[in-house]
This record gives sequence, structure tokens and C-alpha cells, in this order.
Amino acid sequence: MRITLVRLLTLLLVPYLVASTAPAEELGRYERSVERYAIPDVVLTNQNGDKVRLKSLLESGQPVAVDFIYATCTTICPILSAGYAHLQRKLGSESSKVHLVSITIDPENDTPPILKDYLAKYQARPGWDFLTGSRRDIDRVMTAFNAYFRDKMDHKPLTFIRMPKDGSWVRLYGLMNGIDFVEEYRQAGNL
Amino acid sequence: MSRLLIWTLLLLTLSAPATGAVLPSAEEIQRLGARMYREGILPDGQAMKAFVSNDVAVDGTAFTCVSCHLRSGLGSVEGEVVTPPTNGRILYQERKPYIKGKEFVPSVANYAKYLPVRPAYTDETLATLISAGVDPTGRSVLSVMPRYELEDRDMAILIAYLKTLSDRPSPGVGKQEIRFATVIVEGSDPVAVESMVTPLQFSVDRKNSLAKAAGVNERVARMGYNMLGDLHGYTFTLTRWILKGDPATWRAQLEEYDRKEPAFALLGGISPGTWEPVHRFCEERGIPDLFPVVDDPVLSDTDWYTHYLSRGVRQEGEAAARYLHGMVELIRDRAIVQVIRDGRRGRALADGFRTVWAETGHTPAVDIVLPAGEPLTAEALRQAVAGHKPAVLILWDDAGLINPLGELMADPSRPGMIVASATWLGSAATTVPEALRAPLFLTWPYRLPQDDKRYDIAARKVLAGKRPDKYDQVILRQSYITQDVLGRALMMMRGEFYRDFLLDTIGMMEDMYYPLYERVSFGPGQRYASKGCYIVQLGKGENPQFEKRSEWVIQ
Repeated sequence: MRITLVRLLTLLLVPYLVASTAPAEELGRYERSVERYAIPDVVLTNQNGDKVRLKSLLESGQPVAVDFIYATCTTICPILSAGYAHLQRKLGSESSKVHLVSITIDPENDTPPILKDYLAKYQARPGWDFLTGSRRDIDRVMTAFNAYFRDKMDHKPLTFIRMPKDGSWVRLYGLMNGIDFVEEYRQAGNL
Repeated sequence: MSRLLIWTLLLLTLSAPATGAVLPSAEEIQRLGARMYREGILPDGQAMKAFVSNDVAVDGTAFTCVSCHLRSGLGSVEGEVVTPPTNGRILYQERKPYIKGKEFVPSVANYAKYLPVRPAYTDETLATLISAGVDPTGRSVLSVMPRYELEDRDMAILIAYLKTLSDRPSPGVGKQEIRFATVIVEGSDPVAVESMVTPLQFSVDRKNSLAKAAGVNERVARMGYNMLGDLHGYTFTLTRWILKGDPATWRAQLEEYDRKEPAFALLGGISPGTWEPVHRFCEERGIPDLFPVVDDPVLSDTDWYTHYLSRGVRQEGEAAARYLHGMVELIRDRAIVQVIRDGRRGRALADGFRTVWAETGHTPAVDIVLPAGEPLTAEALRQAVAGHKPAVLILWDDAGLINPLGELMADPSRPGMIVASATWLGSAATTVPEALRAPLFLTWPYRLPQDDKRYDIAARKVLAGKRPDKYDQVILRQSYITQDVLGRALMMMRGEFYRDFLLDTIGMMEDMYYPLYERVSFGPGQRYASKGCYIVQLGKGENPQFEKRSEWVIQ
């Protein structure tokens, strides 16, 4: 039999077994702040090869989250993307009400077909767009979000959630667990 | 409390190691284990199930072991996440404290020397780590490490596979020597061959001089260690593997070279035609093949061992399609005609254009194939234009296109835009008459020549005083990149000279700014170093310069 039960038991028991030796859990220690960002008026390309005006996309009034990832990333990006996929699954049939936007920080490699394959790998549903563009435009977007990475190998786990009430952004720095991400999204007034 | 005891017993029973499971043959362990490790597929064909970040369910196909621990199992560092080695040779040894200050650590990639101490893993404790995320000290490892749901037999196969990762020295690596080879296909232009080999040999000679000096001078040895870490005492050799005759016979020749003197990796390499037999040989034998000088690389989404400088001339065709896609409103429903000189180069350029043009959702261009050796005439161009009235005429041909195209300019029905390959036109590009320069757009997969001059000093360093005009400047620069990437990678490998780890390490490198290409970038699993190509036009006057009409990477 699959040991699903083991996983459940482990989650229950690990605190008992390792309470005295485990370091503070790194999850849940993400930093949260509320910021205002001026979105640059750039045109990016989505996974279908369609040109999209980023400002219109992010400031449409629809609930929206933004992260910066790249398709061949080995560590941070899969976690962020698993979080997006988890949120879509949790929302079920209402997932299309939430707009999730991933912006590549590796435009050299990430062409629309690669973006499309990446979304398929995470079983992304409609409402999750993965954008690429010129390096100059991507740099402008990263800078606008105070998330400029000198190199993709230096990148950090950042997620941004727009608060529809006043257009400000919740900036989340760290790797969150699924519950926290859904809760942050809800608190931002998007659910 | 008694309930907790029952839970504990249950946990211990169920997460007990798979030592009792009957393992398949060694070959099956390799096949099934590799599928679990690299693709996240269980032996029964189902996706591995796991949880990351405590509560986020993921399919193993989206998040596999190889994602973080890499193909060699020797781990990775990216952003703020450090992933330790997961191969049996290291896991089953105690990790002792590393004494800071005792040795100089020249590279961030030596992170593995600073990981927390722990006892040696056993099959039991390793199974607990994989399923519950708890290491032998009782410490819960980062929750970015998925906790996998595996049955006993599957767990046993995975653990047995981990024990085979980077477990024995790679061929070509001795105690203090690393052997390399470069493949030269007979018939290659001698100037091109020397331009490819000279930077590699310079790098090998320089390394050997340092190792020799370090052997007799303690101060040099210390300096060498500070510069190169574990690599400092090694000497290198570079052997030329010359391939002769029909490509069908190359396989046997390669096998013989490999049998007599196996190389850790093939460096550079050159062929006036196909590279496929060498590519296939390296894939099957697991030999890294770094940056051969070829126009028409073997493209694959799954191959691993041959890294190319770019996607070859095909990349120019792809760039042309992306550029035209960006101005599709000007083209509207009008046709595009591709005139293709029959042959490897013409077909690769045309296919690059065709593929990307289709991906971006456009009606296919009209292809007109020119037989090899038959001169292009103004009349042939007029017929192509008259028949299809294209918005854009693409000419994949050599400098022989310049005169007939000049004649076509007088034709009132000529298309407003013409696209050609600047690399195929060669130095004749600067002879294009002024009247033709306004409608003519060229693909140029390098940094603009006037901007690349500032890299001359770097590229000529590898000539060690030899006359630069005796060398092919493009190939010289390409080979400069090869030797520099190799050197950086070997320094980052912290003494773990395994073939798969060489490629893993290149995948972890930051973007590079070298001669020739505007940017060279890597990334896990990325096998084409330069991904850009400018669209340029010729400026005014005699000896015109190229002027950019696009970004380096066109999306």
C-alpha cells in the first residue's frame, strides 16, 4: 500500500520526535510588507505567443498575484509554482477568478513554447499566465517591484499580491506553505 | 499517551527501510531508479506523489529528485537554497566538521564543505529522510525537500539507485591528471582547426605550467591552491581524435580512441559537415562534449551530453521569424516567400524560420528551393515576386544574391522588406549597394563587430603572442569561451570530477559576458550557450557598419 498514512503520521509525530533538536521551521518565517509599485508600461509575451500590456493585465481590477521564476529553475521556482497550482486546486471551479502571473527572469531561454510546457507540467488551469519579453523590459518590471536580480542564479522567493481595494501590493518574501499562501491571498481581499 | 505510542509504532513499522524488499537486477535498478530520480515516474508507471512546503501536494513529474540534487546527485546551490549531495558514496559517510581557516575555499560552490555534521546514513535512516524529511540527527530538513510516498520496493530501488550515482571515478580522471580530447573531422579547413585548437592548448599548457611549478615551489603551490582549490595539483592532456572517411565509420574510430585513451570530456571539435555521429556517441557513452564548432547542431529536448555554442545557423532563421512576428500588422495577410539554397545551411535556416513562424500561428511561407550550384538570377527573383506578391522576401543564400537582388530593386513590384543571413553573405555584406540597404534586413548572431572590439585583448590572450590575422576570429572566440567555461566549471567542482557533475556545474553558472556573443547563459539542462541573434541593417557610406534593428533576444 502507498504510505500516505505514514506522511500523515509523520506530520503529526515529527514535532514530538524532533522537538528538542529541530531548528526553527523555515516555513512560516516569510517576510510580509505592503508596498506601492508603479507598474511599467511594457508589452510582454504570454505562453501562447500573444502580446500583453502588463499594466493593463495587472491593474484590471481582477485579483492578481505576481512572481518571478524561470522554466529550468531547480529549486525556488518549483516551490513557488507548486504554490500557484495548489491555490488553483483549492479554488476549484472558481480558480479562473484569480489571475496568477509568473514573469520569467530568463528571457534568453524562455520562449512561449517553453512557457507553455512549463504550465502544463504544473497542470495549470486557465488564469495562470507565464510571461516573457525583452531583457530590458523584464529588468524594468523586476526593478519596479524592487525585485531586481543581477543574475537568475541569485534570485529570491518573492510573491506579490495586489490588494484590489487600493491597488497596493502585499510583498511576500520567503517560501510559504500552501495554507499561508491561500490565507495571504484571502487577507488581501481577493477571495 | 498510549495512542501516541500506537501511532509511533505504526510509523516505525510503515517507514521501515526497504531492506526486506526484493530488488530487481542491477540493470533494472538503473532503468527504474533513473526514471524515478529524473522523471518522477514509479516502476508501475504512475507519477511519484510528494508533499513540499508541508502541505502542498506535487506530482513527482513536476518536482523530481534531479530538480535539486541534479543528475550527478552531487547537489546544487541556487538563490538561497543549498541542496546537499544525495549520492550513496557521500550519504553513507559521516559528515565531519569542516575546520574553517584550515583551507582556502575559492568558490561558493564549495558550500558542500560547510553543511551540518551528521552520522553516516543507513538504508533505514535514508528511507526515513525520503519519506518523512528527518535526517539521522533527528533534524527536519528544509521543507522544500519533497516528502515522497513510496512503497517499500520502490524505496529500495530508489536507494539502490542513489548508491550508484557518482560512485566511481569517471574515465579520463587519474589521481593527478585529467585527460581531454578534441575531435577533428578530416577535411576541416586547417585555419579553422588551428583557431579551434589553439585556445584549448593554451589553457592546458597554462594549467600544466602551474601544476609543475607548484610541485617544486611551496609558495606557488599555496597560490595555486588559493586560485584553483582542489584542482591545483592536476595536470591536463589534450589529444586530437582525427576522424576520417565516411561518417558511418566514425563510430568505430571513436570507440577505438575511447578504448585506447578515454577522455573525461571532449572539448571543442570541428567538422565541415555533420556532427551527429559524434553527438550520438557521446550520448550513448555519457561523455561530455563541450561546444563543438559546427553550423548545424543536433537539436534535442532530451539529450544531455553535447553542449553547443548556439542552435547554429538555424537560430538566425528563428530570429527572423520572431522579428517578423513583431511587425505582423505591417504584413497582414500578404505572403512571405522563402528562397532556399538547397544544402545543409539553407535547409537549417529555412527550417528555423518555418518552425517559429508556425509556432506563432502564421500561414506558412511559400518555399522556393534553389538547386545547389545553380546561380540565383534576377529573373528567378522576379518570377518569385510576380507570382506571390510577397510582403517579405527571404533569401537564404550566399553573397551571390547581392547582384540579382540589386537588379530586382528596379522592379516596382519588389517587396518592401528583404531578409538574408549576414553570416552567409560574409565579408561581402559590406559591398551591398546603398540602394539595397534600406529594404535589406540581415540576421547576425554575434555582438556587433564594432562593439566586440573591446574583447580583442581577452580573445588574443590565448594566442600567446602569435599573429591574430592567421586565425579565424569567430572560431578563435568560440574556443576561448570553451576553455574559459571549462576552467570555471572545474574550479567549482570541489574535486568531484564526475562527467555528469561537469554538466551540472555548467548548468549552475551565472550568465557570462565573453567575446563574440552578447551574452552566454546557462541553466539547469540548457544546452545552447548563446540564445540571441540581432536583426541588423547596413549603415551608410563605404565600409558600412551593422546597425541594430532588434534586441539580442527577440520574443
